[in-house]
Amino acid sequence: MAEARDPLRYFRIEARELVDQISAAVLDLDQQPGPDLVARLLRYAHTLKGAARVVKQTEIADRAHTLEEVLVPHRGEDAALPAGEMRELLRLNDEIARFVGALEKPASIETPAVEEPPPRAVTADLDELLDAIGEANARIAPLRDGSRELARMHRSAEALGDRLRTGRDPAGSRGAVQRLAGDLAALGRRITDAVDQVEHQLDEVRGRAEGLRLSAAGTIFTALHRAVHDAAEAEGKHVRFVASGAQTRMGPHLLNQVSGAFLHVVRNAVVHGIEAEAQRRAAGKPAEGTITVEVERRGRWAHFRCTDDGRGFDLTALRRVAEARGLLAPGREPEPQELIDLVLHGGVSTSGSVTEVAGRGIGMDVARDVAAQLGGSVAIRNRPGQGATVEIVVPLTLLSMNGLVVEAGGTVATMPLDAVRRCVRLPGEDAATATAAGRLAHDGQVVPFLPLSRTIGPAGDNPPAGRPAGAVAVVLTADEQTVAVGVDRLAGTTTLVARPLPDLAPAAPVIGGVAIDLNGNPRLVLDAHGLVAAVHADPGRIETAREPEKPHRPILVVDDSLTTRMLERSILESAGYEVDLAASAEEALEMAHGRDYGLFLTDIDMPGMDGFTFVARARADPELAAVPAILVSSRASAEDRRRGEEAGAAAYVVKGEFNQEELLAHIRRLILR
Amino acid sequence: MTPGVAGRIDELRQEFDRSFAEPVRRHDEEHVELLAVRAGGRPYALRLAQTAGLHPDRPVTPLPGPLPALLGLAGFAGTVVPVYDLAALLGHPAGGHPRWLVLAAGQPPLGLAFHELDGHVRVTADAIVREQTHEGPRGCLRGIAGLDGAARPIIDVPATRALVHALAGHVQVTEEAQR
Repeated sequence: MAEARDPLRYFRIEARELVDQISAAVLDLDQQPGPDLVARLLRYAHTLKGAARVVKQTEIADRAHTLEEVLVPHRGEDAALPAGEMRELLRLNDEIARFVGALEKPASIETPAVEEPPPRAVTADLDELLDAIGEANARIAPLRDGSRELARMHRSAEALGDRLRTGRDPAGSRGAVQRLAGDLAALGRRITDAVDQVEHQLDEVRGRAEGLRLSAAGTIFTALHRAVHDAAEAEGKHVRFVASGAQTRMGPHLLNQVSGAFLHVVRNAVVHGIEAEAQRRAAGKPAEGTITVEVERRGRWAHFRCTDDGRGFDLTALRRVAEARGLLAPGREPEPQELIDLVLHGGVSTSGSVTEVAGRGIGMDVARDVAAQLGGSVAIRNRPGQGATVEIVVPLTLLSMNGLVVEAGGTVATMPLDAVRRCVRLPGEDAATATAAGRLAHDGQVVPFLPLSRTIGPAGDNPPAGRPAGAVAVVLTADEQTVAVGVDRLAGTTTLVARPLPDLAPAAPVIGGVAIDLNGNPRLVLDAHGLVAAVHADPGRIETAREPEKPHRPILVVDDSLTTRMLERSILESAGYEVDLAASAEEALEMAHGRDYGLFLTDIDMPGMDGFTFVARARADPELAAVPAILVSSRASAEDRRRGEEAGAAAYVVKGEFNQEELLAHIRRLILR
Repeated sequence: MTPGVAGRIDELRQEFDRSFAEPVRRHDEEHVELLAVRAGGRPYALRLAQTAGLHPDRPVTPLPGPLPALLGLAGFAGTVVPVYDLAALLGHPAGGHPRWLVLAAGQPPLGLAFHELDGHVRVTADAIVREQTHEGPRGCLRGIAGLDGAARPIIDVPATRALVHALAGHVQVTEEAQR
C-alpha cells in the first residue's frame, strides 16, 4: 500500500480536520467571544504545529505558531478580539488550508476515482462502524463455544455408540442418550439465539456502512459562515450566522452542489438583504443582522433555508426591471409573489444596470440551476422590510436513519426513530376504544390515533371488530403535530439507509421509501409527515388507496328543535356528509322509505313518536333494519342508555357532554356506504 | 472391422446425428419460445424473449397505494422491483395469490406476477395466429398460440409495460448520484 511510502497520509487527514476546526472556532469567536473558544483555538493551533513539525511541514508549523502568538495575549479574556487580529487569524488559517490542500494533490492523483474530498468528520462514523463490527464479532463468540460443545457431544455420541454395540450397561446407556438429547436441545436453543443476535448486529453494521456514503449537513456550515463573515466585513456590516440541522445526513454530491449555490445565497443576503447599521437602527432593528441557515429532512426531501432579517426584496425595482424587459405588461398590478417569482423564473437576473436586483439575481440563477439539476425547486418568501427566505428543496436518493421496526396487520415497516416521542403499551380494551374514537389520551393530552394497519394493511382489510387494532401506540411528532399510531408489535430498532421507491411504484403518502433487509427483501420505510397527515386527514377512515371510493349514504337527522337540527347539520356537513332533516319521528320514517340512508341520528324527546320508538320501528322494518341509529339526548341516565340499547340504537351520545369528535367518531364507525 | 459391423456403426451414427439434426433443423426455422401461464384462472402465453427471468415464490412486500394491480415490491440483488398482478392488469377480478413472477425485459425494472406456470414450450411461428390490431383487455394481447389444442392469447410484455407506465404515471426520478 501507499501508506509506507506516504508519511503524510495521516497528517493530511488530521490537518484538514484541524483547519476546519480552527476556521469554525474563529468564526464562532467572532460571534460569541469567550475564553473557552480562545483556549480551544490555542489547542488546535498547538496540535497542528506539533503534527506539522513531525512531518517536516515547516510552512504549516510556522503559521500555526503565528496563530498561537496572536491568540496567547487574549487567553482568559471575555472581550472580542480586534477585527484586525480576527482577519489575521483567518488569513493564517487560509494559508494553512492552502498548504494542506497542496499536500492533498498527490493523493488525489493516486486515486483518481475519488472526485470529492473525503467527507469530513468521518472518523466518528468510522468509530461507530468499528464498534458495531466489534459487537458483531463478540456475538459470534457463543457460536464458537457452541462448536466446542458440539465436538464434546460428538465424542459422547461415539462413546455411547461403542457402549451400545457391546451391549454393556443398557440402563446407563439409556440415561446417557437422554442427557445427550437434552444437551443437544439446549445447544440448539443457544445457537438460534446467537444467530439471531449476530444477524441483528450485522444489520446494524450494514446500516452504518451504508451511512458512511453520506455526509452530515454541518460540514458545509463553516464555509457558509465564512462567506457570511467575509461579505459582512467587506460591506462593513455586522452579521451573525446561525445554523441548524448539522446532523442531517445526505449524499456528499448533493451537499456539495447545494453548498455551492448557498454560498451565493448567503452572500447576497448579506450584501443586498442586510441593511447598513444606521438604516437598521432607524427601522428599529438590532444593529447586528442575522443570517439563519437551516437544513431539515422532511421525508425524502432535504430543505435548505437561508433567512435574513434585512430589508427584503425591492419590489419597485424588480417591477421596473421586469417591465423594462417586457416580462410584465406596463401598467399591470402584479401580486408581490408574482414579482418575486420572476426573479426565479423570468431571468430578471444578470442585468448589469440595476445592481440592487441583479446582485440577488445571480445567486438565484445558481440556486435555480442547482435545484433543477437535482430535481428539486427553489422558493423565495419575501417579507418587505423584515427580510427574505430562500429555500431550496431537493429530493434525497439515499438517506441514513435510525428506524423503529414495527409490525402491523402482518406487515413489517420501519418508522423514522427521530420522529418517535414515546411508545405506550395499550391493553386490548384501550386499543379498541382509541381505534373507535380515533383519539388517544397521552401525557395529559388528547392526540389523534390511527391503527397503522388501516394505512399499510392490505387494501380494504380493516381489522375486524373485536380484535384490538393496536397493542402499542407509537407517539410521534412531525410538522409540530403529535399523533399516535397503533401497531401490533415493536420489533426493535435498526440503522438503515432508505432509498426512494422505484419507478412504477406509486404509493400512499405514508410510505417514505424502502430499505433492503438482511434477506434482500424490501422493507417499507414510513414517512413521519405522511403519517401525521394521514392521521389528521381522517381519523377512522383512512384510504388505503386513492381509488374513487363509494360515497357515504346520506344521514337523516331527526329532531324537533330547529336549532339542534341546524347545529347537527352544520357539524355533519363540514365533516363531509350529506344530511337530510326531519322534524319528527313520523316524518323521518316516511322519508326513510323514500331514500337510502347510511345512518339515523335522532333525538329522544319529541312530540308524537319518541326516539326510542323510532329506532325500534326502524329496526323492525326489513327495509330499514340495516341502517344504524345513534340516539342524541340530554338524558344521561343508565336507564335511558339501556332503553336505547334495547331499542337497537348503535350508539348513545349525551347532549350535555356533547362532543363533536365523539359523535363524528361514532358516525365514521357506523355509517353505511 | 467387418463390413457388417462398419455398416451398423454407420447406421447408428446417422441415427444419432439425425436425432440432433431434427430439432436443429426446426430450430433454424422460425420458432417462438413461450411460457404457458395462467392468470386469473385463464390460460395465456408469454414470449420468453420478452422476459428477463422467472421466479417462483418470491417474497413480495405489499405496498399500499393507489393501484390495486401493484402487488408490492420484491428484492433482486439489491434492486427493488415493483411487482404487478398480471391478472389485474388483464382486467380479471382479483383472487388468490400469484405464485410466479417474471421480470419484464427493459427498464425500469418491472415484475409481473401470475398464478400458475403450465410449462415452457417452443412452437413454430405458424402455430401463432397473428392479429393486426391490439386486442384484448387494455391492448396487452398480441396474437393467439395454439397449444395442445387450446388457444392461448399471447400477452405482449412491452404492451403490458406500456400499460403499467401509463397507470403509474411514470416519471423518471432524478438520481442524486448521477454523475
